[in-house]
Amino acid sequence: MTRAQDALPKAVAAHRWLQSLRLRPNLVTPGVVGEAHLLAEEEAIFGPLNLSGAHVLEVGAANGYLSFAALRRGATRVLATDHLAWTLPGADAQAATELAAREMGLGIETMALDPRALTAEFGKFDVVVATAFFEQLFNPIAALRGLRAVTTRLLLIETLQDAQDDGRPVMMAQTLPMPFGGPSGAMVPGWAPNPPAVLHLLHTLGFSRILYRNHPTLGSQRGIFAALLPAAPEGVLEGFGEPWINLTHPKG
Amino acid sequence: MDQPKTSLSYDELLARMQQIHWFHSIALRPGLTTFGPKTELILAHEEQALLGCLDLHGRTVLDIGAWNGHFSFAAKRRGAARVLATDSYTWTHPHFKGQESFELARAELGLEIDTQLIDPTEITGDLGLFDVVLFLGVFYHLFDPIDVIQRLRSVTGQVLMIETHQDALEKTRPGMVFYPGTTLGGDATNWWGPNPPLMLSLLKQIGFARVMYREYPGEVMYRGLYAAFTPEADPAIAAGFGVEWRDLEAPGVLDSLVVAA
Ligand SMILES: C[S@@+](CC[C@H](N)C(=O)[O-])C[C@H]1O[C@@H](n2cnc3c(N)ncnc32)[C@H](O)[C@@H]1O
Repeated sequence: MTRAQDALPKAVAAHRWLQSLRLRPNLVTPGVVGEAHLLAEEEAIFGPLNLSGAHVLEVGAANGYLSFAALRRGATRVLATDHLAWTLPGADAQAATELAAREMGLGIETMALDPRALTAEFGKFDVVVATAFFEQLFNPIAALRGLRAVTTRLLLIETLQDAQDDGRPVMMAQTLPMPFGGPSGAMVPGWAPNPPAVLHLLHTLGFSRILYRNHPTLGSQRGIFAALLPAAPEGVLEGFGEPWINLTHPKG
Repeated sequence: MDQPKTSLSYDELLARMQQIHWFHSIALRPGLTTFGPKTELILAHEEQALLGCLDLHGRTVLDIGAWNGHFSFAAKRRGAARVLATDSYTWTHPHFKGQESFELARAELGLEIDTQLIDPTEITGDLGLFDVVLFLGVFYHLFDPIDVIQRLRSVTGQVLMIETHQDALEKTRPGMVFYPGTTLGGDATNWWGPNPPLMLSLLKQIGFARVMYREYPGEVMYRGLYAAFTPEADPAIAAGFGVEWRDLEAPGVLDSLVVAA
């Protein structure tokens, strides 16, 4: 074993990991979220897409798992961002992400960013992806507007859901224990929408075709939405077979 | 309403009134009341419910979404030292001609009230701090009410008075209903219907210390009145809040507001 390899477990142990990233064949970061769960989410979210040459923005990247996956799947530019998990006192997830990027030799960009602050001047991304979206945002409406402003083709949202027995678009507010550092006992205020609420918010913001599927391992407790802007070519939809359903253009 | 405060003749004033689409029915002169769907009786009840509980003497008041100005005028008549009326949507709307309507009524009533053409989505602390902020009939018109309510916290010195459409009343947990397009009342400017638990949690999270609630004056279930006090609020300002007003954090109060589906 080289000296550098020797030093890695120590460097890894110095961080609190949110996600389990395989940095070496037998070295996985001790993340709160396990590899199998992350892999299932990656397959559900990116599986239908061809990311070759795409510019991708990830919002709420935690330790960058999906950003690394996007780069491996052919994206040419990937910007990983997070807000609370990268900026709260005691939250060191950005440094951990950067360590992982160096170790895996994956050239993602990183930036601490509040998605509410995103405007068109920030830049343009073919694909924007955000997981655990509504549940950790005090203002998901402003954040969605921000994401819309920088998306040119496709927005992917994964979120906790609620009020599924209600046919009307509804968003429930809640506070959850903070999963990523900050003072002990701290809570994050956030929201959990039902699918009609996400559908209509995205539609109001200008997305014309909106698809949905349940979370691959947690079922309807969580949902994944793929929203296309009118400018996105129809071909983008080709990979979205079962269990995806088209909410804006239902079959039959 | 002693002497006319403007030099307009009766016919001239009537003609100007008729060129405007009014929301508030405001008595400008004996025999000359503007023709709004909000009748003088409705406005009197709303005014009593919202302002009757406050001692406005010497206070500063900010009215957000003042439209024709009934509540700005009422605050001034109730002794406010300074009233700033603001609006944008109806004030610049070619059909509603809201700013013109406000100015006509203000001149006719001879009340000294400041105005600023500003949309609630643009309000910042630069506007200054006001003892009392009126946010009446506006919350549900905003696509992003969360952002605006945060902005209003930065201009509220003591108490934020909210009157709003509400919904999701059958739910015990905080939530709000979204109305895409013209779903609510055929009006494309209606976006959200919050429930009382949601108003409480939102107002507490942005730094209000106490939130009081009372029913809308009249048999209207889908509207509610809220008074949100800052930690610095002078206890005297809440002294007039009667039994109709209930502290949303007192045991059993939120539960008592749940309406069976
Ligand atoms: C129902 S009126 C309420 C007028 C007055 N405050 C009252 O309670 O009688 C709604 C007010 O909200 C203002 N407003 C602010 N933002 C608005 C928006 N995005 N869409 C529609 N109206 C809006 C309108 O200009 C109008 O004055």
